[in-house]
Amino acid sequence: MSAIPSAVTPDLSDPTDVGVDRVQRRERYAQELRSLLPEHSILATLEQLRPYESDGLTALKATPLLVVLPDTIEQIQALMRWARDHSVPVVARGAGTGLSGGALPHEDGIILGLAKFNQILEMNDDLGFARVQPGVTNLAISDAARPHGLYYAPDPSSQIACTIGGNVAENSGGVHCLKYGLTVHNVLSVTVVTIDGDLITFGCDGHDNEGYDLLALLTGSEGMLAVTVEVRVKLLPVPPVAKLVVAAFASVEAAGDAVGEVIAAGIIPAGLELMDNPAIVAAEAFAKCGYPTDAAALLLCELDGLAEEVDAQVAGVSEVFTRCSATSLHIAETEAERLLLWKGRKSAFPAVGRLAPDYYCIDGTIPRKQLSHVLQRMDEMSKEYDLPIANVFHAGDGNLHPLIMFDAGKPGELHRTEELGSRILQLCVEVGGTVTGEHGVGVEKINEMCVQFDENTLTQFHSVKAAFDPEGLLNPGKAVPTLQRCAEFGAMHIHHGELPFPELERF
Amino acid sequence: MTSNDDSAALLERVTEAYQNKTPLRIVGGDSKKALGNSVSNNDHAPLSMLGHSGIISYEPTELVVTVRAGTPLSELNNALNDAGQMLAFEPPEFPNSTIGGVLACGLSGPRRPFNGSARDYVLGMRVINGQAQDLSFGGEVMKNVAGYDVSRLQVGAWGSLGVLLDMSMKVLPKPAKELTLRQDSPAHATDAFASLLRQSLPLSGAMLIGESRYLRLSGSDSAVLAAAAQLGGDVIADDVALWSSARNHTHEFFTTGLKVHGGVNTLWRVSVSDYAPALDVAGEYLYEWAGAQRWLKTEAPASEVYAAAAKLGGHATRYSASDDPAEPAFQPVLGPMRRLQARVRDSFDQQRLFNRGRFHPELDNLDAPSGAVSV
Repeated sequence: MSAIPSAVTPDLSDPTDVGVDRVQRRERYAQELRSLLPEHSILATLEQLRPYESDGLTALKATPLLVVLPDTIEQIQALMRWARDHSVPVVARGAGTGLSGGALPHEDGIILGLAKFNQILEMNDDLGFARVQPGVTNLAISDAARPHGLYYAPDPSSQIACTIGGNVAENSGGVHCLKYGLTVHNVLSVTVVTIDGDLITFGCDGHDNEGYDLLALLTGSEGMLAVTVEVRVKLLPVPPVAKLVVAAFASVEAAGDAVGEVIAAGIIPAGLELMDNPAIVAAEAFAKCGYPTDAAALLLCELDGLAEEVDAQVAGVSEVFTRCSATSLHIAETEAERLLLWKGRKSAFPAVGRLAPDYYCIDGTIPRKQLSHVLQRMDEMSKEYDLPIANVFHAGDGNLHPLIMFDAGKPGELHRTEELGSRILQLCVEVGGTVTGEHGVGVEKINEMCVQFDENTLTQFHSVKAAFDPEGLLNPGKAVPTLQRCAEFGAMHIHHGELPFPELERF
Repeated sequence: MTSNDDSAALLERVTEAYQNKTPLRIVGGDSKKALGNSVSNNDHAPLSMLGHSGIISYEPTELVVTVRAGTPLSELNNALNDAGQMLAFEPPEFPNSTIGGVLACGLSGPRRPFNGSARDYVLGMRVINGQAQDLSFGGEVMKNVAGYDVSRLQVGAWGSLGVLLDMSMKVLPKPAKELTLRQDSPAHATDAFASLLRQSLPLSGAMLIGESRYLRLSGSDSAVLAAAAQLGGDVIADDVALWSSARNHTHEFFTTGLKVHGGVNTLWRVSVSDYAPALDVAGEYLYEWAGAQRWLKTEAPASEVYAAAAKLGGHATRYSASDDPAEPAFQPVLGPMRRLQARVRDSFDQQRLFNRGRFHPELDNLDAPSGAVSV
């Protein structure tokens, strides 16, 4: 077994760095970068660095050596060449809304903030695309397109704040991906700066390009392969009609079966969301949107498109829900009511947040047929750990978001919560699913990657990274665990007396 | 229905090839032997995928099918059709096509601009890499961002990044109603498609042959009929035959005038934006994908076709067999992109065991700069 690419610890082999502490390095790097970038682009005081210590996963914090906020692509290219020549890790960051710690700083590296790249460069309504800088927010694209009757389909719930560059890094989804797909299905081309400072565009004006489909590979690569500096997204016509059917069920199983029956009837809803009773109660208390709080499960089923199509589908879905023993069925009568009913679902997270001092959002995907089994197992685990769980579920595509309620003020409770979360993710893998549906691996789920992928596959991932970033300088330590890390994690989780990665040495 | 798991034997063959450094030519139904660069002048041992076939799992309510690479496309299509579903990227079905070949070559049909491409529907893949390792990427669920998206990277890589063993794909319900309208159009008037694409119309096909524009509509009865009334034109009687003749290259356009028929022309596929102007190459054209996929029959040399496609921000692919190295089948990858793509090839198949010379020979050059990790 030869060396594994060093993803976690960058090789700071410059002998002058040995023994030099971070404070001195911070000063020296800042001085060097001032020759490449304007003074105002470089943040170097602890006070300036503090806001960048964590992203949406606030439980983890680290102080970067520097934060750099370039104004131009040329500056990014110069910065990347400098980082390569000095073997300095670079962590790209958009709005910092990511939930898996993908933008957590590297203590020996710099944060490359793309906030200043916030311009929509071209809104081409004739040709149906927008060309935008990476720091433009997801919602800003749709807002700018809407006067032209167009919109950008992926709508992660953080869309008011999250940036398109971050969406590309995470392959973000949203509530409408069953019908409209993920970021990877809605991005036409992405221009990046590589670690060598080259400016390269993946994808093209047409539907495919010569050579390999590196656009697909780049999407969802969590800032490990290159830094996105421009994105061209597909804009779709705003559907003329959208209708929402809300159905209550006496059991989660019945609601889950109803989802399968909708699909079997040949209908692909724009959104199909399932909430369990704790989530319903929390959302109703928060949004007062008229949810039946005595229901065991609620399905929100949105249908959009041409009026004729939507009418036929509303009738079809209503028939299915009735046949599947829905205890109540309601079709939003007005646009205002439709939005109010959605508000309940979209505020489920903060609503649950009011029931407990803290909550932890899990993000796994399972084959939908495993829903009742998984919910039952989660219920057992919830009791075992004495931590309540509310569930919201992108039912159409099997993406589960259990919200574990806990109190970080109680000693050990955060640790127990993380352990419960990890066990839920391992359950998702066990039933044929995945440890992350849309939030990314980041640092949060890096251990669970060892459960989902074997040693050879993880090594192949490292080789792919090395093709782009031979020294492992882009976002080191994220997304793909080293085999050493898996060995250490595995040592804590020995199943049936079998030691995972038995050939590796342990600490 | 055939069903056979040949993965152990395939892995053994690749292991031998890896140890002996002997290249392999991956072959399914060999239905696309005229495509890609000719390998008739090499003696690379064939690795037949036909023994590795059968549907592994298919649950219509999950909208997911998992299948072995050597499964005939016709068999897969029949199974989906029986459940009222389909491969929404509508791949071409040449005689003896396998699903592995379809995905390796990344082929999509008339629905592509409206429903997405082959790679869009791939959820997971089991692959043997160039170090004879049996790897699994992605999975059988629709939302999955764990690890790099290697499954989608494999689509259209022509086997040069590994032997595709099993693949999971998202499938969709077949539309309740489909009809095709024929409208009169000036020849080459692809610009008329753009305004149609920016409306909420249930389009699932848009093609221009000569002076006939064909628009296919798919959806509920009422929506399709309403859109047909709005668009106008004649309803085509046998629309299924029309679209399959374009998709499968059995239309007269593809069966006349080419060198293989004793003519003088070479067939090219030119991929550009749907709003690109006319290509500056003399020849005969058939326009699919609302103008974004252009079939060209021409005597012009490869260099001229490539230059014209590049000028419009697109690329070209030769669809007629040729042994002439001056006529590469794929538009060459240049500059930093070539270096990067060669490194990606390195990372999966450093010895260039798989389909050497078939895809982009410029990526197969073993002297190319290498960034691969040796393991």
